[in-house]
Amino acid sequence: MSEYDFHPLVKQLLDGDITIADLPAELRAEGEEALRLLAAVDRSPVALPAIPQRVMRALTRPPQRFPRWLLAPALALAAALVLWLGRSHGPMATPGSEAAITVHFVLSAPGARAVSVAGTFNQWDPRASPLVRAGANGMWTATLKLPAGQHQYAFVVDGVRWVPDPAAPAVDDGYGRRNSVLTL
Amino acid sequence: MRAETEADGDIVRAVLAGDRERYAQLVERYRDRYARYAARMLGSRDAAEDAVQDAFVRAYDQLAQCQDPNKFVGWFFLILRNRCFAEQRRNRTKAPLEAADGVAAVDTADDRTETAERRRALQLALLDLTPDQREVFVLKHVEGLSYGEIAERLSTSVPSLKMRMHRAYDKLREQLRDHT
Repeated sequence: MSEYDFHPLVKQLLDGDITIADLPAELRAEGEEALRLLAAVDRSPVALPAIPQRVMRALTRPPQRFPRWLLAPALALAAALVLWLGRSHGPMATPGSEAAITVHFVLSAPGARAVSVAGTFNQWDPRASPLVRAGANGMWTATLKLPAGQHQYAFVVDGVRWVPDPAAPAVDDGYGRRNSVLTL
Repeated sequence: MRAETEADGDIVRAVLAGDRERYAQLVERYRDRYARYAARMLGSRDAAEDAVQDAFVRAYDQLAQCQDPNKFVGWFFLILRNRCFAEQRRNRTKAPLEAADGVAAVDTADDRTETAERRRALQLALLDLTPDQREVFVLKHVEGLSYGEIAERLSTSVPSLKMRMHRAYDKLREQLRDHT
């Protein structure tokens, strides 16, 4: 107990269980002090009109975010592989143009209907770089020519499931997801 | 245009089925519902805005774990609550004065009145409570919930809430001894 503790009856007043008229005369002043405290409570509303825009922007900002419930399903992604096949130069290379490097993307996704790769090299557009099915063993492949430098990417399965490449190093995308990293 | 009265559960199920844009309806519907709670818990409107945004993003990520889609808003509240508590743990050492100014700045009409001064002093004193004490005070005296409603929302008991609240009253009285 400290000298600042309210009397139990005054606490009941603050809780709304009794009124100040229920307090004995000697507790009225303390009761009024307690009610002044409650009168200072700020109940003015707080509006956050920008929230819907902020939230939806955070959810769609590239690389697109996809929740765990889209990543979890029973899709047997056995392994993925990125092979650097070699350096080549575009036939029409002009002075100042960057060297292009041929990169072969491979993903094992036996149950997938469509696979693509999206990354910093194609503005994270899931439709820009489709992989094609290679044989009947569930392998999907694509060959792209990319400029030298560091790229981040992820595979997009069936247009909705964003899957980092388990065979490549990855970094956090700043939104709780992992992007694969390819350095050429 | 879809009816505004569409049940939360229907929207949640649509989002889970792949119609992700529908999530904006839930955000629009509940963007302000707990904004005041977050602002009073964190002491600043800006911090509340960040917390509410983050809670909506987390809720989206974990939507499949919302066991009763018709109770989305109660589930969302718990995510926001966790976010507020985590924020307070991170900022435990921060001086609250500036933060309280941020909330008190909402009032402009009576900034110089005694009422405004008491209001600001109370907000500062609230930031000095433990998060548990502050929460029960905010839910009861700012949001206007009964002990029973708070107990249901936080899955705790009324006596335990009262104990927290009564300690909060004493602490506030001490903090506000020059203002009441």
